[in-house]
Amino acid sequence: MSTTSTWDARRTELELPEEIDLQVELANVGSRTLAILVDLSLGGLVLFIVYALSMLLGRNMVDDWLTKVSANAFKTVLMLLIFGFQWGYFNFFEWLWNGQTPGKRLLHLRVIKVDGSPVSVVDVMLRNLSRPIDTLGPMGLIGLLMIFVSRKAQRLGDLMARTLVIHETKIDWSIFDQLPGATGEGDAPRLAPAIRLTSAQWELLHRYLNRREKLQPEARVRLVQSLYDTLKPAVLGTELALSPLPPEEWLVELSKRT
Amino acid sequence: MTLGTFIRRGRPRWQKLEEMLGFIEVKGPRKTDRPFLRELSALYRATTGDLAYAQTHYRGTTLLLFLHQLVARAHNQIYRAHRFSPTETGRFVFNDIPVAVRAHLQAVAWSAIIFLLGIALGLSAVQFDERAASIVLPTNILNSIYSGHMWTGSIFSVVPAAVASTFLFTSNISVALLAFAGGLSFGLITTWILFQNGFMLGVSIKLCADYGLLGALFTFIAGHGLLEISAIVLSGAGGYVIANALLNPGSYSRGDALARQGPDAVRMAIACVPALITSGCIEAFISPSNQPFWFKTAVGLTIGVSFWLYLLLTGKRAATTAPSP
Repeated sequence: MSTTSTWDARRTELELPEEIDLQVELANVGSRTLAILVDLSLGGLVLFIVYALSMLLGRNMVDDWLTKVSANAFKTVLMLLIFGFQWGYFNFFEWLWNGQTPGKRLLHLRVIKVDGSPVSVVDVMLRNLSRPIDTLGPMGLIGLLMIFVSRKAQRLGDLMARTLVIHETKIDWSIFDQLPGATGEGDAPRLAPAIRLTSAQWELLHRYLNRREKLQPEARVRLVQSLYDTLKPAVLGTELALSPLPPEEWLVELSKRT
Repeated sequence: MTLGTFIRRGRPRWQKLEEMLGFIEVKGPRKTDRPFLRELSALYRATTGDLAYAQTHYRGTTLLLFLHQLVARAHNQIYRAHRFSPTETGRFVFNDIPVAVRAHLQAVAWSAIIFLLGIALGLSAVQFDERAASIVLPTNILNSIYSGHMWTGSIFSVVPAAVASTFLFTSNISVALLAFAGGLSFGLITTWILFQNGFMLGVSIKLCADYGLLGALFTFIAGHGLLEISAIVLSGAGGYVIANALLNPGSYSRGDALARQGPDAVRMAIACVPALITSGCIEAFISPSNQPFWFKTAVGLTIGVSFWLYLLLTGKRAATTAPSP
């Protein structure tokens, strides 16, 4: 496990029956909070719409039995909605969508068991019915502290249900398509690349080159410099090491030679 | 093997696996046939192999992360937890819940004791000083008792029974589930909720007795009281199971003890939901009605007793007889 700050993504290892250590990326505090905010706003929006509708409908109605019935119906619906949102929303979606709520889905988060298996109904109920205690204090202080303190970023409900909240990263295939041999038939013609980068370094370089047009100018300058510093040691002993090119062109040159 | 070759060779099967996973995640395994599942498991094993290779040779790439996630998704489908099915639900209701309750009768007893303690203290508080009632009862209820009327008549005649029952069961379930979750506060919140509810009942009983309303009060609560109190006590017991895991983890770490006892606790607490919906409906539809005392008592006893019979008798018997409270 890498040692990074709690704000960054942390990795944790799961063990599979196939004897492979599966690495998952734990969701960080920021994205978990954001997911909850999305869920809360969604619930708030629905409540607001129903409430506004009941107000609008009630305003122009004369005082007859229909008004009374519909006012009572709205009152009941509103109570059921608030109650359902408070106790049912997270349970329902995490059960139905295999550990995801709309907010979690938006942020690519998912709840899984500590051993990597999907959550069961009882797990979902455990972690969500204990939510009131985790959200005690200002801004859900207890749950927040627990996520910071516990090794696998588990709040009390997660500890009880043995669940993790993980982040699912999407892969950008367009980077890898530039690899020699990645597309087309047969092995790539061996051009004997002059410089050998590790695959991680190679990906880093090409990820930058793919994105550089979209970056803000000042961010681009900063990123180029840090990439330049990172990759410089890798080319020791080749003519590129002494090249006087400015960092940006130097990186392009490097990508041509690998 | 270069990274390019690795990707060129592996990508078709990863894409196929992704596609199949997309299908099975949405449609469920029942919609698939034997060749499909065979191919899925073959692809899963091949991809695990790719993952192992990538782990050695391509550390630090997003490709490795992608493979990790792909294998995790496939693993989720192959070793998936039981999804919703009628048999599963039946087993949960008629076996898991009662078995969990019977395994923790001691916690149920403690929960009931705290509740009774609340009643006793409520009774003696009013005995000692009548003004104690104003701590827990709102003024309109107090005024109605002082003038010798039941407060329920005025409330239930204004609010339609459907609205009242919804209000009653939503607030009761919230209280009960909070009593369960309160177990995580080492049982402090659980105890407070149980005690407060008992205290309120005790105060009401004594106050009504003092103003000659005891018969009216019992007529009102005869229909729903037993079931409602049972449900609150049961879910409080769920809270105590959690609190006990935290306070008294034995040879386990606190986290492990919590994870061991948690499922039983939540099963006990969830039993209160249907019970409280029922009791809320009875309280709104039958209790305020003009039905005779014997009718309400019959309803209350039938439902309350059958709730306990369900909890104590259905499901698998435990190997050893559980200690009675």
